[in-house]
Amino acid sequence: MNKAMQLGMIIAVILAVLTVVEYIFAVNVDDTAIRFYGLSGAAIAKAALIVWYFMHFGRVFRPEEAH
Amino acid sequence: MYAATTVLGGTGTGLMGFYLGLGFAMVMRKLFGYPDLWERDLCLSVGYVFGLVGWVLGIGLWGQWAREWFGMKTYANGAQGWQRYFTFCTDHKVIGIQYMVWFVVVFLAAGFMAMLMRVELAQSGMQFFNHDQYNAVMSLHGILMVAVAIAAVIGGFGNYAVPLMIGADDMAFPRLNALTFWLVPPVGIMLLATPFLGGLEAGWTAYPPLAVQTESAQTLFNLALMTFGLVSILGGLNFIVTVIYLRAEGMTWSRLPIFVWAMFLTAILALFYTQGIFVALFMVLLDRIGGMSFFNEANGGDPLLYQHVFWFYSHPAVYIMVLPGFGVALELLTHFSRKPLFAYRYAVGGLIGIVGLSGVVWAHHMFTSGMPNYLHPPFLVATELISIPTGLVFLAGLGTIWMGRVWLQTPMLFALAVLFNFACGGVTGIFLADVPTDIHLQDTYFVVAHFHYTIVGGEIFALFGGIYYWFPKMTGRMYNERLGKIHFWMMFIGFNVTFFIMHLPGIQGMNRRIADYPSEFDNINMVISIAAFFLGSSFLVFFYNIIWSWFRGPAAAANPWRARTLEWQTSSPPPHDNFESPPVIKGHPYDYGVPGSVHATFPMGAAHAPAGGGGGGGGGGGG
Amino acid sequence: MAVAAPAMHHKGPDRTAINRLGLWLFFFSESLIFALLLSSRFFLEGLNIPLKHGSDEQAVDQVLGLAITVILLLSSVTAFTGETAFEHGRKRLGHWMILATIVLGLIFAGGVAYEWKTAHFTRGEAFGTVFFTMTGVHASHVMSGVIMLGLVWVQALRGKYNEKNHWPVSGVVMYWHFVDVVWVFFYPALYLV
Ligand SMILES: [Cu+2]
Repeated sequence: MNKAMQLGMIIAVILAVLTVVEYIFAVNVDDTAIRFYGLSGAAIAKAALIVWYFMHFGRVFRPEEAH
Repeated sequence: MYAATTVLGGTGTGLMGFYLGLGFAMVMRKLFGYPDLWERDLCLSVGYVFGLVGWVLGIGLWGQWAREWFGMKTYANGAQGWQRYFTFCTDHKVIGIQYMVWFVVVFLAAGFMAMLMRVELAQSGMQFFNHDQYNAVMSLHGILMVAVAIAAVIGGFGNYAVPLMIGADDMAFPRLNALTFWLVPPVGIMLLATPFLGGLEAGWTAYPPLAVQTESAQTLFNLALMTFGLVSILGGLNFIVTVIYLRAEGMTWSRLPIFVWAMFLTAILALFYTQGIFVALFMVLLDRIGGMSFFNEANGGDPLLYQHVFWFYSHPAVYIMVLPGFGVALELLTHFSRKPLFAYRYAVGGLIGIVGLSGVVWAHHMFTSGMPNYLHPPFLVATELISIPTGLVFLAGLGTIWMGRVWLQTPMLFALAVLFNFACGGVTGIFLADVPTDIHLQDTYFVVAHFHYTIVGGEIFALFGGIYYWFPKMTGRMYNERLGKIHFWMMFIGFNVTFFIMHLPGIQGMNRRIADYPSEFDNINMVISIAAFFLGSSFLVFFYNIIWSWFRGPAAAANPWRARTLEWQTSSPPPHDNFESPPVIKGHPYDYGVPGSVHATFPMGAAHAPAGGGGGGGGGGGG
Repeated sequence: MAVAAPAMHHKGPDRTAINRLGLWLFFFSESLIFALLLSSRFFLEGLNIPLKHGSDEQAVDQVLGLAITVILLLSSVTAFTGETAFEHGRKRLGHWMILATIVLGLIFAGGVAYEWKTAHFTRGEAFGTVFFTMTGVHASHVMSGVIMLGLVWVQALRGKYNEKNHWPVSGVVMYWHFVDVVWVFFYPALYLV
C-alpha cells in the first residue's frame, strides 16, 4: 500500500518538474524547431510515465494476475 | 409481443430524445443570447444525438445494461424464437443474422438506385431525373454501398462465424455487440431519409467546400456516418478481444482459420482508422453548424485537410471491405478444393503486410488535388508496394486450387470469381496508382470500373459465396443449388460486361458523377445500362432462392460441405452456447487428405467424438 | 501478439483481463481522434501561436494554461491514490480521493470555460477553430470522466467495491489518466510551441 502510493508520488513529482521545465523552456527558447522538438520530447516522456505507472500498461501483458 | 414492444419502445424513447434535444438546443441558444432560437442544422444535430441515445436506451441498453451503472438490477431478455431478432439480444448468432438481413436489404435498396442511375445514363441529355435528383441518388447509392461493403461481411459472417470457428460460446462483450448492432438501423433510416430532407449534393466522399456550403441534408449525412463509424470501431474492438482471449484450448495463432485471421486484421484496421472519417466528418459538421473555419480558405482553413484526413481512413477502408472478402474466398477455396490451404503462413503474412502498408498510401487519391508535388513519388511507390502482399494472398488462392479436387458448388463458383475479378481490379489499379496515367484517368468512369471490380468483384462476390456457404448453418435449411448457380452465372456475366465496358468511356474521358455526357458516348452507355439491368435482375433470383429456402427448403445436415472448421462440428443451427461440450483443437483446420489428422475433439461430449477429422472426401459429416 | 498466452486457459479467461484489454483498445482508437486533431492544428497553423490583435503578446493566457495543466496533473495523482486505496481495501481514503478527483476535474473544466470566455480570437479564424475544437473535445472527455467518476463514487459509497472487486474504479481511473495523457500533448501544442 504505502510503497505503491510512494511510487505514485515520486512519478507525480517528476511529472510536475517536467511540466515546469517545459514551461520555462518554451518561454525562453526562441528557435521554433528546437522548441518544438524539446516540447515533443517532454510530452512523450510525460505520456510514457503516466501510461506505464498510472495506467499500469504492463498489466495488459500479465492477464493472469487479478489486478 | 416482446418484439413489437421493444422496437416501438425504442422508437418512442428515440423520438422523446429527439424533441428533448431540440428543446435543449433552443434553451442553450437562449442562454447564450442568440437572437434566433431556431437554427435548423444545429438544432437538428442536437436532436439527432439525443434521439440516438434515447433509441439505444429504449431498445434495451437501459434495461439490460445501463441500470447496472446506477446500482440497479438489470432485466433478462425474455424473447424467444424469431422475436429475438427484434430485441436487444446478445447472442452473436442472432446479431450476425440481424446484420446480414439488414445489409442485404440495404444492398437491394442501393442496387435499385444504381438501376435508376443507369436508366438516366442510358442516353445523353436528361430524361428521367433532374441534376439534383441524380446527385442525391448517386451520393446515396455510393454511401449505402460503402456501408454494405464495410459491414455486411464483418457484421454478418464475422459475428456469426468467428466465435464458432474459434470454439468460443460468444463474443467477448456480448452486450456491447448488441448495442453496436442497434446503432445501425438509425444510420440506414437517416440515410434513406435524406432524399426527402433536401437530398445530397457532395457524393459519398462529401468534400468541402461544397459539403460545408450546401443547403442539402449534408448535416444528417455526417451525423449518420459518424454513428456508423462508431459501429465499426466498437465492432472491431469486440473482435480483437474475442480472438485474443476466447480461442478454444489448442487454437494457436498458427491454427486459426484464415477467415478468422482476416477478420482479426480487419478489426485492427477498423478500430484504428475509422476515427479518421469520424474526425473528417466532425470537422465538416463544425464548419457547418459551429461557424468554424477548418476548410474555409478565406479565414486560414484548408480544404485539403479534409482530403488528407478522409483518405487516411478511406484507403484503409478499402481493405476493411476486401480483407474479410479474401478471408471468405480463401476459406471457400480450400474447403471446396479438398486440399490444405496453400502457403497458409504466407497468406497470413500477406494479410498482415496489407494491414501494415494500408496506412501509408492514402494520398494516391489526391494526385490531382493540388497537394505538394514532392508527395507524389512516395505515395506512388507505397501504393505499388501493396501489390506484393496482395499477390501473396492471391497466390495462396491459386495454389490451393492447383491439383485440387475442385467441387463446383455455388459457394466455390463465387470464390473462383473473386480471384478472377480481383485480378482485373488489381491490374487497372496500377494505372490509377501511377501519377502520369492517374492524372488522365482521375474522375472518369475508369475509376468507377476499377473500384467496382475490386469491391464488388473482390468482396461482394465473396459475400454472396459466404451467404450460400453458411446459409445451411445459419438457417438449418439448404438453398436450391440450381437457382444458386443461375444467380452466379447471371451475376458474373452481368458484372463483367457492365464494368469491363465501363473502362472504355473512362479512358476517353467520360466524367463520373455527372448526370449528362456528350452524345458520342450514347451507344456504349446503352450497352452498359442493359448489362447493368441484367446484373440487377440476377439478385431477384437470389432473393427468391433465399427467401423460399429459408421457409421451405430441405433441412440441412450439420456439415453439408464435409468441412473441417469448427462451425460445422455442431448442429445446424447451433445451440445457444454453440457447442454441447467445449472443443479442444488438435491440428490444423485445413489438412484435407492428410492421413490421421484431426482438427478438433470434444473430450467431454461422447456424441461428438473425434469430429472434424478425415480428409479427401470423407469424415465429419455427422449431426 | 504478445498477449497470446491466456488462450490456453481451461476454465475460461479472467473477466478483468478481458475488460482491461477492451479498454486499452478503446484508448488506442480514441488516441487517433486526438492525434488527427493535433495534426490538423499543425497543418493549418504551423508552429505558430497568433498574437493578440494590435499587440505583440500571444493570444493565449499562459498563466491560466499552466494553472489548469497543474490542476489536471493533481487530479491524476488523486485518481491514482484512490485506485490504489481501493486495491488495498482502504475504502474511506478511496472515497475521498475520488471526490477530490471529481472536484479537480470540475475546476479544470471551469478553467477551460473561462479561457473560452476571455479568448482573444474567434472560432471563425483558423487558430480559434483548432483551439476551440481541441479544448472542446478534450473538455467533453473530462466531463464524461467526471460523470463516470460520479457514478462510481455513488456505488463506492454504497460499499459495492472491495479488494477483489473494483474493476469499475480502475477502469474509470484509467480513462481519467488517458484524458490526462491527451492534455500532455495538447497543452504544449496549444500554448507553448
Ligand atoms: Cu486508396
